[in-house]
Amino acid sequence: MVSEMTSRERVLAMLNGKPVDRVPVVTGSTMVVEYIKKSGGKWPDFHSNPEMMVNVAGMMHTDAGIDSVVVPFGMFVESIALGLDVKMGRVDIQPSVRSFFKKPEEVNYANFLENTYVQTTLEAIKLAKEKYPEAAIAPFLVAPVTLAGDLMGAENLSMLSIKCLQKEKQMAKMEKWLSIALEINKIYAKACIEAGADLLYYSDASASPNLVMPDFYYKVGVPVEKELGDFIHELGCPWVLHICGDTVPIIEGMASTGADCLSVEQAVDMKKATEIVGAVPIAGNLTPLLMVEGTEEQIVNETRKGLNGGAKASMLGCGTPPLSTSDRLKTWVKAAVEWSAENL
Amino acid sequence: MEFDELPEEVRELIEQLDEAAEDEEEEAIEELTEKLLDTGVDMEAITLKKLSLCVMDGEEEMSVGWTKVALKIGIDPFKALLKGLAAGMSLIGDKYEKGEAFVPQLMIASSAMYEGMELLSPYLKANSSGADPSTVVIGTVEGDVHDIGKNLVKTLLSANGFNCVDLGNDVEADRFVEAAKEYQATAVSMSTLMTTTMAEMPKVINMLESSGMRDKIKVMVGGAPLSTDYAAKIGADVSPKDAAGAANWLKTTLSESPSDTENLN
Ligand code: B12
Ligand SMILES: [Zn+2]
Repeated sequence: MVSEMTSRERVLAMLNGKPVDRVPVVTGSTMVVEYIKKSGGKWPDFHSNPEMMVNVAGMMHTDAGIDSVVVPFGMFVESIALGLDVKMGRVDIQPSVRSFFKKPEEVNYANFLENTYVQTTLEAIKLAKEKYPEAAIAPFLVAPVTLAGDLMGAENLSMLSIKCLQKEKQMAKMEKWLSIALEINKIYAKACIEAGADLLYYSDASASPNLVMPDFYYKVGVPVEKELGDFIHELGCPWVLHICGDTVPIIEGMASTGADCLSVEQAVDMKKATEIVGAVPIAGNLTPLLMVEGTEEQIVNETRKGLNGGAKASMLGCGTPPLSTSDRLKTWVKAAVEWSAENL
Repeated sequence: MEFDELPEEVRELIEQLDEAAEDEEEEAIEELTEKLLDTGVDMEAITLKKLSLCVMDGEEEMSVGWTKVALKIGIDPFKALLKGLAAGMSLIGDKYEKGEAFVPQLMIASSAMYEGMELLSPYLKANSSGADPSTVVIGTVEGDVHDIGKNLVKTLLSANGFNCVDLGNDVEADRFVEAAKEYQATAVSMSTLMTTTMAEMPKVINMLESSGMRDKIKVMVGGAPLSTDYAAKIGADVSPKDAAGAANWLKTTLSESPSDTENLN
């Protein structure tokens, strides 16, 4: 039995493959309307006001009992900072990227770090670190394949993912987009680590077999994710890799990137996934919608199912739905705590 | 039509024509078409088969090239579309449904089909069968910009002879209803990929009901977070699991209800 840990110690131990006092409970995006209201947040200000952002995200830790504090709210910061159109959504809908570049040459990232939204993330990391030193501060960032997809348009990414395997000319195009995405990723990652991040949480949503060829992921996606991961490790920070959809066919590739933890969603058979990857911890994989309309029984069952399947951390599939209720979030945390008491 | 049963000489000409199409060499395409016609083979059968295979493999340039051949040898443009280009889209759609193909393959097939269709479209104005095709109003619901899946549903519906009125993404509920009225739609197809916007779907269904149109219109809903249970709960007719399923379901359902059968040839 390991003596009681802080949330931060717990998460870092899990990432290191060390024993924990109980399994950590973590999440991706945390733009929860109930917490926005309770903490006095205003839309769209909480996307650009670091204090408001941290107050909302912090309640996931202080009220619900989640071990991480996650900022920013959504996967648009990189794109907006590059000058792409972003629709800000609503208090209950995350912002979305609405335009893309025609040519890689159009992307200008010279002043990336000066952008208001990038600055908001960095300030929010510092502030969260000050306010919640006992929590794991985990910025939510867009991983290279998905960022390349934002740059060239997701539809183009999907088509190019098959064409580039067939023709060298198309591969050269793909590599050009990816190398730009990677440069931007590195600039942002370094700044987040310097701001005090305990880990970086990367979503490579568009590297999913739902959108690109699994072959493409292995040949092209894995090497760029690994390059980013190695860069992050050199700066002394761990990182988590999330990919959407049923990732069983690509999970070996995900593990080979060197990520310290893999995050999977509910479409994945946890037992199969943990059997394939072996030593790399996997986090997952409750159906996010349960936090909006799940019964206590459903929440407890799915939490236990993931952990029984070998998950080393309990996590909602693809992030916390904005309409999640605090009582359901607490039911989930409690279920993970109880499972730990029985099984660790 | 089996290619490997064709004489060696014919197969070689077909291969050369593929290459000419790939390199967009207009003159070579014409010349090779003439040469093929001279051999006396069933050129219509060959062309239709090639069209479907090129679309299935997502070969844009080749689909365009063989569509030119189809026009040159005088194949009925509707036949070239339905038995050629669209048939190829169905082939890849079936594979996808069985888990033997992936989304990018559907996407490149779809763009190959549309490239060919564009060449045919000036000749497609008057529907040769006389009957108007059934119209489907299609879109992604308000608050949601994901439209790749919606576009695939549209492609497969078009490939199956439906006329699609595409409202795009982030579509307000009343626009679905207005369009259904304006175009006398046979069906409405709604997509969403986000749990937060699922509640837009029952809104549209209720509006169809209160305007008295619901009985005459099939409602399909789809997108990753939807289940058949949810579809039933909100009063939709169905939620097939993917784009290929949507087209198959609508085709079958409409051919089962006698009043619509004639519209589906
Ligand atoms: C590409 C993508 C994007 C692109 C979309 C580009 C575009 N033009 O569509 C961009 C980058 C713009 C984007 C933005 C966002 N996204 Co997004 N995105 C994806 C991604 C990676 C792939 C979706 C996709 O296109 N799949 C391929 C298509 C073919 O699948 P499909 O649409 O499901 O369609 C199939 C079936 O569902 C069915 N179908 C579809 N419609 C219909 C209709 C009928 C009638 C029938 C029968 C069948 C049917 O047929 C299709 C194939 O056969 C997914 C994650 C994933 N890997 O799945 C996230 C995902 C869908 N996105 C998500 C989110 C949260 C967002 C954002 C809010 C993120 C953000 N903060 O930036 C914004 C959306 C804002 C908004 N207001 O809409 C979440 C949704 C979570 C949820 N369940 O609520 C997902 C799951 C990922 C995640 N965790 O972030 N996204
Ligand atoms: Zn996901």
